[in-house]
Amino acid sequence: MATISTSFPRRTMDEHQIARRRRRILTTAAVTLFCLIILSGYLVPVFYGLISSLKTKDQASDANAPIMPMKEITFTYEGEAYPLYEVPLESGTKQLALVKKGRASSKFVDPQNVEAGLIDWQGNWRSLPAVREVSPAWENYPEAFNKIDFPRLLMNTLVYGLVTMFGTVSASAMVAYGFARYRFRFKNILFIVLLGTIILPPQVTLVPTYAFFISIGWGGTWAPMIVPQFFSNAYNVFLLRQYFLTIPREMEEAAMIDGAGPIKTFLRVILPQAVPALTAVALFHFFFAWNDYFGPLIYLSGRRELQPITVGLASFNGLYSAEPQLIMAAAVISTILPLTIFFIAQRVFMQGIVITGVDK
Amino acid sequence: MSVVTESTSQVIAARGHNRRVLTNRQREERWGFFFISPWLIGFALFTLFPMIASLIFTTYDFTLSVPDEAKFIGLDNWRRMLFEDETVWRSLWITIRYAFLSLPIGMIVAFLLAVLLNSKHLMGKAVFRTLFYAPTMIPGIASILIFVQVFNPYTGWVNRIIEVFGIKAMGVTGLRWFDDPNLIYLAFVFIGLYGIGNTIVINLAGLQGVPTELYEAATIDGASWFTSLYRITLPMVSPVIFYNLVLGTIGSLQYFTVPFVINGGSGYPDGTTEFFMIHFFKQTFRFSNMGYGATLAWLIFVIALVATLALFGTSRRWVYYAGESNR
Amino acid sequence: MRKLKLLACLMVILAITAGLSGTSVRAADPVKIRWFVGLGTGSETEKIPVQEEVVKAFNESHPDIILELEIVANNDAYTALNTQFAAGNAPDVVGPVGIRGRDQFPGAWLDLSDLIKETNYDLSDFDPALVDFYNVPGQGQLGLPFGIYPSFLFVNTDLFDEAGLPYPPAKFGEPYVDKDGNSVEWNMDTLRTLAMDLTVDTNGLTPNDEGFDADQIVQFGFGAQWTDLRGRCSLFGAALPVDADGKAVFPESWSTCTQWFQDAMWKDHFHPNGPYGGSDILNKSNWFQSGNIAMVQVHTWYFANLNDSKFNWNLAVVPSYNGKATAKLHADTFMISKATKHPKEAFAVLSYLVGEASGKLTTLYGAMPARKSLQADYLAKLGESPAFAGREGMNMQVIPDSAAYNDNPNHEAGLPNALESSDRITKFWTALENDPAFDLAVEIPLLVADLQTLYDVK
Repeated sequence: MATISTSFPRRTMDEHQIARRRRRILTTAAVTLFCLIILSGYLVPVFYGLISSLKTKDQASDANAPIMPMKEITFTYEGEAYPLYEVPLESGTKQLALVKKGRASSKFVDPQNVEAGLIDWQGNWRSLPAVREVSPAWENYPEAFNKIDFPRLLMNTLVYGLVTMFGTVSASAMVAYGFARYRFRFKNILFIVLLGTIILPPQVTLVPTYAFFISIGWGGTWAPMIVPQFFSNAYNVFLLRQYFLTIPREMEEAAMIDGAGPIKTFLRVILPQAVPALTAVALFHFFFAWNDYFGPLIYLSGRRELQPITVGLASFNGLYSAEPQLIMAAAVISTILPLTIFFIAQRVFMQGIVITGVDK
Repeated sequence: MSVVTESTSQVIAARGHNRRVLTNRQREERWGFFFISPWLIGFALFTLFPMIASLIFTTYDFTLSVPDEAKFIGLDNWRRMLFEDETVWRSLWITIRYAFLSLPIGMIVAFLLAVLLNSKHLMGKAVFRTLFYAPTMIPGIASILIFVQVFNPYTGWVNRIIEVFGIKAMGVTGLRWFDDPNLIYLAFVFIGLYGIGNTIVINLAGLQGVPTELYEAATIDGASWFTSLYRITLPMVSPVIFYNLVLGTIGSLQYFTVPFVINGGSGYPDGTTEFFMIHFFKQTFRFSNMGYGATLAWLIFVIALVATLALFGTSRRWVYYAGESNR
Repeated sequence: MRKLKLLACLMVILAITAGLSGTSVRAADPVKIRWFVGLGTGSETEKIPVQEEVVKAFNESHPDIILELEIVANNDAYTALNTQFAAGNAPDVVGPVGIRGRDQFPGAWLDLSDLIKETNYDLSDFDPALVDFYNVPGQGQLGLPFGIYPSFLFVNTDLFDEAGLPYPPAKFGEPYVDKDGNSVEWNMDTLRTLAMDLTVDTNGLTPNDEGFDADQIVQFGFGAQWTDLRGRCSLFGAALPVDADGKAVFPESWSTCTQWFQDAMWKDHFHPNGPYGGSDILNKSNWFQSGNIAMVQVHTWYFANLNDSKFNWNLAVVPSYNGKATAKLHADTFMISKATKHPKEAFAVLSYLVGEASGKLTTLYGAMPARKSLQADYLAKLGESPAFAGREGMNMQVIPDSAAYNDNPNHEAGLPNALESSDRITKFWTALENDPAFDLAVEIPLLVADLQTLYDVK
């Protein structure tokens, strides 16, 4: 690359530009590569999960082919399938089918020369490399998909996530604005109380909360998970309050002078500036809802048709049986949709900059 | 939408004119309560009663399976917790010590990753952001299976990868992540890094809000990347960092799921995984002792509240709110 | 302000809805009975539809009762049920559940004695000893016999063939005939010798060979799968860590047992230790299904795991210790919660589950029916199940035979302050199976002292 620029010695101003562009490309490449390296390290467990979702139970527990989902290639001899191994013979290494395993000697058959019958090979068959091919167990996916009622579970989760997302983001933004901009009596104490609802471990209020919702007849419905979100959520209020506090007051004051009331100012001035934070809160809530487990579990235990995906997934993990490969496959399926939403929401993050008018 | 609200505000404004004139202060107060009213109502309806009830539980001998036989025992639970139960203080110490290890690492990594993912030099930002967020989305049941496997001393990927670098890692004389009292916290911190997706996104949202003029001005002044980071980025996103710090502190004090699932609440190895919330959960749900469990929960509540208030106290010194400049 | 009014309206609506749904039960309505599943087996995906069928059949035949099925995944079922109990929203019928699951909810169960008397319930189809099994001193008759799960050895015959070793005996009292044709007593020592020959590292060496690599084991000889210290030590005879006076003890047989298992894991390497047991090569704790272990001790509920097994397997009896064989037994039942408002209707449901539906349900759960009338064709039916179908020469008689050698006192039997003392015993075992440096001489006295403290509390 460097030779190209010296071989064309044009002493113009674009040489400077080219150098700058090249530096930019190099920086971009370096930063991207760096990020890629970190990412690949970071995603090791995710790769493990993905690969596990593509292994049969036998592949998962095969101690000699641990990384990729591999299958031993087999040869059918007298109606039975036997695995092929690379066997060193006097005439050179040959791929033979292992018919009878033994500690000191094993019996093989030569697929090319079946008529020769069984070959008695002296040695330890475990020391022989097996002939394998990559063979992902794609069937885990349809199996997981069919074993539980995926479409319904996903739909329940999706509706729950979207409805409460709408409720909690609107209510939380309102409450956060009140805490961020207005002076009123007991404001600090009330804010501490709000934080207190986060601080008290939820497990300790589980029993009275459950008792309360059951007593008002909300057992077996989604209401205990949905309705409270419409009255805001302390985590979201706190986050949005933090964000609102970073927004300079000038624009609001200008709007007020133009005669806009508090509601109009909130809707027209504050919310547009807070799009990135609102998106973040909306996403968090949606993902929280997507993975919400214990609430739906206890309130909807008798209503299978209403249950979300998390509760459906748990049934793969029985007491006296376990289907780890199906759990993984189902987990992958259930992760695709929220990740897609996240990917799309990226655009909103970018747009957020444009709308606020503080960038570019 | 906007039409309706416009007319609403006009109506409200008109009413305001007809009534006797409110002072600015009173008007502001009314609007303040108006805006926070959803939370106030929701709190009164859904949260207040369970909180009070759980406080009342602390004065009862309350076995979960037989609520009718609950007995009032005054402050016995509190006395037992404060003076008789050694596990309380040991588990608190374990919890706080671990918080001091995991919280800074988690916050720094999340912040640096956010800066990296916000870099204008990064290609394919959307893909990278999504992939860094991916582990956060894995359902709990699957992620636990994954981590138990990747840290397995004999067959786990972590040890396999370390062996590539020529270090003896596999087997009983190697790195036994969940069995070695020295390694287990490292493993937990590592696992914790897979839950920082939200923190990264919060940081990213904060970074979006930093006006680029500030960086341009700094570049013209000849400030290095690091100086801009320290002098511009950090102060501008300090409110968001503050949020992460407060929630991280509360979350660390309630650290529970990972050690509970991996060690089943046994405290193994050597009692190192006996975190406070594990003690709480065992007392409450495994030993069915709701009264004592509630007492433990309220102790951690008080501790976390004090910590939170202390953080709010320090925030005046280092958190910069652009919108609060005139206060 | 309009918004506030709107909110107020909403609240009123909510309150009214709540009030209505709370009072909608009228006297003439059929009684609603809730059946909670999840403390034991039953919450697995594939088992749900059959239980729904049972509920449907019940509801069709009992117009005065509406039976509702609540299924909670086993992991969280205990917390969920505790929450329901504590909140005064107890389900009416709970099960299938074993002894240990039952003891997690002290005082929550109804004594059925009066209902049995009132309804003249016919107990003649049950073994009286089994009925008595559910009679808990001080609490009464807490359940009726439903299904039992004897335990025995599952043997991976392919691995025996590879090693050229004869299979373990299928009859109690028979010796093991080793590869040289010598008859030796089928006891724990023989098991150890045999299991070591069946343990192999990645190079094909056994623990008896020079150069065996204990860090690269690919096949294990023996494992007591999915159980705890009390379950494992039942192989050495039934015993409790408490004596008649309520004093904490560490039974003699447990000393032998813990030493045996510690050696098996860390010295002789034929039994999976904690990390191996949870690893991929042993199918993340579902050991026998991995095909990489030659023998395990498990109960009949395990059969469904072998529906599509690629290897050949068979059954064998557990070895004896000091001349006596003990095959630990699981027994499931259904219970009625004390807090039920409709004990009669709940008992009708319970009678149905342990009666009309018991054939269907025991098959589903993998249990041997407790009803003598159903036991007759139990083996024949089991032979047609997917795990056995198409396999020949299966030693099925091992199953009923093992039931006769059950552990009494049961390894799940209640201890004083059961919840906390069981937790302490688990802690002991967790360290033993994970820590090679675990010192039994130090830890056993500590365990006994702690147990004594816990026993003294209640």
